[in-house]
Amino acid sequence: MLRAGLAGGLAGVGSAASAAPQEFAIDPANTHVHWEVKHFGTSTSRGRFDAVTGSLVLDREAKSGSASISIATGSISTGFAPFDGVLRGHYLLATAEYPTAYFVATRFAFHGDALASVSGEFTLRGVGQPVTLRALRFSCRVDPEPVAHEVCGGDFETEFNRSAFDITHSLPFVADRVRVLIQIEATRR
Amino acid sequence: MTMTKTLLACVIAAGTVAAHAEVATYAIDPSHTFVTFEASHFGTSTLRGRFDKKDGSVTLDKAGKSGKAEITIDASSISTGVPALDTHLKSKDFFNATEMGTAKFTADKFNFSGDKVSEVAGTLTLLGKTQPVTLKANNFNCYISPMLKREVCGGDFETTIARSAYGMAYGLNYGLPDNIRLLIQIEAVKQ
Repeated sequence: MLRAGLAGGLAGVGSAASAAPQEFAIDPANTHVHWEVKHFGTSTSRGRFDAVTGSLVLDREAKSGSASISIATGSISTGFAPFDGVLRGHYLLATAEYPTAYFVATRFAFHGDALASVSGEFTLRGVGQPVTLRALRFSCRVDPEPVAHEVCGGDFETEFNRSAFDITHSLPFVADRVRVLIQIEATRR
Repeated sequence: MTMTKTLLACVIAAGTVAAHAEVATYAIDPSHTFVTFEASHFGTSTLRGRFDKKDGSVTLDKAGKSGKAEITIDASSISTGVPALDTHLKSKDFFNATEMGTAKFTADKFNFSGDKVSEVAGTLTLLGKTQPVTLKANNFNCYISPMLKREVCGGDFETTIARSAYGMAYGLNYGLPDNIRLLIQIEAVKQ
């Protein structure tokens, strides 16, 4: 499984920018949304959402793009099952009432040829707020198997206050500030 | 509201907990103790995973500024969110979880910065090989848990290991990274 992508990492170095908008589908095996929140000012609790789907359009010549990403809130995973149950509950993510969180991005900002940030609206627990994801790294490569295909992806991060999405349970012992780390890889259609 | 006030009073009180002269033992809280790893995926994105099963205890002498820790991690509890990848990571290519089920961190050197633990040095045993490892504290604090009515100490630690030093060499020859960053959340309850 890991072998498939490997030679691709080497082959991808020379991939050229193209003129037209190109469509990419998210690779769920290499796309995860992780979050971090401080617990009692002491340690950082981490979790992730395992079910992330979506697509994006990238125009590397015009330096623009758009993205539409859905997160199944019930797929939250902290590694401690009772905690997952609490997080899915009515007072936190309310996953029965709000089974999906959405990120719809319409503004891709570039610094030179490098993607610098992606801005749009994040909807969580039924509340939409403007969010900007900073690109920590972003690049494209060509994976050779099963047939040569281009993969673009990177690491993004953002922070927001969970209270802005009406998630106020356990404040202030569990911090309001949430850091979100997004690993994303997407395959060109 | 009353509950919030009570909890708040506890947190404020916790800030003034005096250092104890005696050595105290703390048991790892499994709901707030995790080892997360980060590995670069072909230079494109960062793969993260964690180990869900762990056990251990820490002794801390705040006055004497010393401590000991012993933490075991069940390699078969690795979780990336991608079952096929978990299976590969548990195989002989990586953790060989069936034969070498446990990783163990043993520390006997605690460095302090003022009242706070700043570094924990010891050894990590993985795949039968033992290597020195130092965990750097990015945060350290003790508080009185309003639920447990006991002191809880913990923090965020990190280190970077070269997996080849433990004989875990799969994929190094075609670009999988050797250096793996470990992020450790730990909280332990005073016994």
